[in-house]
Amino acid sequence: MSGRSGSRLRTLAAVVKAGLRSNFGLATLKHRLFKEKKDRWLVPLIGLAAVGVVPMFYGIVLLIENVYLVLRPMGQERALLSFGLLAGQLLVLLFGVYYVIAAFYFSRDLEFLIPLPLRPAEVMTSKFVVIVINEYLTVAAVVLPVVITLGVMARGGAGYWVNAVLVYLALPVIPLALVALAVVAMMRFINISRKKDALILVGSLLLIGLSIAVQIGLRRSAGVDGGPGASAAAVAAFFTSPDSLLNKVGAIFPPGIWATKAIAGGFSGEGLANLALLLGVTIALFAAMVVLAEKLFYRGLVGLAETTGRKRRLTRAEMSRRVSSGRRAGAAIFWREWKIMNRTPIFLLNGVLVSVFLPAVFILMATIDTGGKASGRGGDPMALLKALASANPLVAILAAALFMTICGSINGTASSTFSREGAQFWISRVIPVAPREQAAAKFLHSYLVAMLGVVTAGIVAAFFLHLEAAALIPAAGLSLVAGVLLAAVGMMIDLARPLLDWTNPQKAIKQNLNVLLALVADVGILTIAFFVVKALVKSKLAMGPVLGILFAGLAALSAASYAALLKFADKRYPEIES
Amino acid sequence: MIALTHVSKGYNRGKVKAVEDLTLDVKPGEIFGFLGPNGAGKTTTIKMIVGLLRSDAGRITVEGFDVATESLRAKQVTTYVPDYPAVYERLTGLEYLNFIGDVYGVPKAERLDRIGKWLEIFELASVVTNPIQSYSHGMKQKIVLTAALLPAPRVMVLDEPLVGLDPRAAHQIKEMFREHCDQGKTLFFSTHIMEVAEKLCDRIGIIHKGRLVACGTMEELKRIDRTEAGQSLEEIFLELTDK
Repeated sequence: MSGRSGSRLRTLAAVVKAGLRSNFGLATLKHRLFKEKKDRWLVPLIGLAAVGVVPMFYGIVLLIENVYLVLRPMGQERALLSFGLLAGQLLVLLFGVYYVIAAFYFSRDLEFLIPLPLRPAEVMTSKFVVIVINEYLTVAAVVLPVVITLGVMARGGAGYWVNAVLVYLALPVIPLALVALAVVAMMRFINISRKKDALILVGSLLLIGLSIAVQIGLRRSAGVDGGPGASAAAVAAFFTSPDSLLNKVGAIFPPGIWATKAIAGGFSGEGLANLALLLGVTIALFAAMVVLAEKLFYRGLVGLAETTGRKRRLTRAEMSRRVSSGRRAGAAIFWREWKIMNRTPIFLLNGVLVSVFLPAVFILMATIDTGGKASGRGGDPMALLKALASANPLVAILAAALFMTICGSINGTASSTFSREGAQFWISRVIPVAPREQAAAKFLHSYLVAMLGVVTAGIVAAFFLHLEAAALIPAAGLSLVAGVLLAAVGMMIDLARPLLDWTNPQKAIKQNLNVLLALVADVGILTIAFFVVKALVKSKLAMGPVLGILFAGLAALSAASYAALLKFADKRYPEIES
Repeated sequence: MIALTHVSKGYNRGKVKAVEDLTLDVKPGEIFGFLGPNGAGKTTTIKMIVGLLRSDAGRITVEGFDVATESLRAKQVTTYVPDYPAVYERLTGLEYLNFIGDVYGVPKAERLDRIGKWLEIFELASVVTNPIQSYSHGMKQKIVLTAALLPAPRVMVLDEPLVGLDPRAAHQIKEMFREHCDQGKTLFFSTHIMEVAEKLCDRIGIIHKGRLVACGTMEELKRIDRTEAGQSLEEIFLELTDK
């Protein structure tokens, strides 16, 4: 290695190291935990959450074991491995679009990185490595249970484990590099346009649509998913046919099959050949990305910071029209939230649009599982849902309410509402508006976004699941009151530890621990509601009283949580030093 | 007026003392310049006055309102310009000004007059409908200053307000300072520009290592018993902070 390339590698390593430290906030975390002694309460909480997910993981491992025992006699156990690895890669493909756009084009640290004597490819590589490491954590939850369970059950030798580690390291790179190539090319095109933000949004939606389409294509191609839609005979016929699931999956996304064969084959010829293929393609795609980055990255980037507006002086009459005649302070704060959320592509995608996506994706998946045949067969999930709705109206109402509540509350708008203000939080602190009034305006905004999800989910339930008004109305009522509770809890979590020092808007919403903590709290609240309903049903109460008690309970909790939020805002605002 | 009485503030659980036992009175109609080396406690003091930081000890009042217990009333009469113009980048300049006008309850007629006046002075009239994201650093500083002037507050607190401004805007700001205080209002600002402080301020305070080491008019500062004979503010500052 020449001295010059060695020095470039050292530079790259330094940029990557700085990127990792900044992204994971290690230095800040250390300072807060050990110097300022703040956030220490998080340590036991995270420990508790980790303990909480152990039963879930145990359940997943048991499920994998059972599926393995079914597939093993048919010699199809590799299909399980393939599904795990593929699911991991698809997850990366889907969420990679958000991560890549945010990290490559919206990080504020780019302002400091670009003037440094670094090549565009080095800056982009440092960002890419940070995303890859983030994705290892995401993929771990999906891939590791499958790989480890299978390795233990099939008594995989050294080859299995060594290859598994190498495959795991390579796994997110191919989908992320594909996304990066598409995004960098897209941004180069977008940069010539004046409407950059709108195009970024449309482009992101197209890429997300594409990755969903790939996923749907895979499921259709596989033709079977082992779910309720597949009859036992169909499953058996599929698995015993020479045209196996593994090869069908591989035909659409070959890296999935290479990864499977590399791990399962171990040190055999097949294993090593597939490993070489996987690593070779990984390196090739990464190299292609680096080459493209060198040529296009800065050209797509530099324009983003440029002035988008034209110079135009308003006439006195125009100025008079556009100068507000005086809104109430709460209304002014609501509109500020509304405008900033909708005009920041990352916030809009992760906050508002997720509410619309989720029901849409659900219905797409449900339809695709049946190959588009929406009715008739006994194994059809749609038909199953309809049958369930007519057989047990209470379950149908509760399931619809749960669906609407999840679609409304999973978006992270409430649990990032204070964090999203970031470095501008000083404005909220100095204006003469009571914290409770500010919190109320923010609540209204978060709640309206949640309602968007509830309404979309309601439309899906009405038109695709053919849920009748008699079920839909009480379900909507329940999700409307539950939405108040979940939004207030999410906001209180964010208010307890707002993340204000972000440089990349992605960190304020997508990578914000508060959003995850709120999600855990939501699951906890919904689980408690489930057990309450179970107890009520067990006590032989009729449907009306069960729903009435649930509604009243949720309404009381919602009112209490909203009051608690306002009180907490009054207490917490002066404590947040910004 | 602004009054600080035995105010202290520490960081890292009191291990780092940023401000120690600070007592200070800024009178109505007074331009008060607050000087000090980097890390002396200027920004901490300013942030305590506007309610961004809580003091560990002592009391701060603005126009007689305790910033800890009557914070809303204190905020209603105060506006603040931070050392870095972090504003809502996704709003247009006019939307930001409207937001500030709304939260301070500025009537429409006054809003129109003041916005029109300051946009002309700061040469922002032709870009006010563009997103703040597209503004230069100096333009952002000007929009923050316009927002701070919009409510015509009794008290203005500014942290290095002249940084990033072009000479014309800096000149106009200095004139505005005088005009503001001639109406009996109070202005408290920090600066590193000795010449500005010397010419503009009615009184000057010098803070060093969290303690107020000198406070008074230029004439009073010159009378401080010092080892060296220099009479300029720069010389006084250098000697008082060279410890």
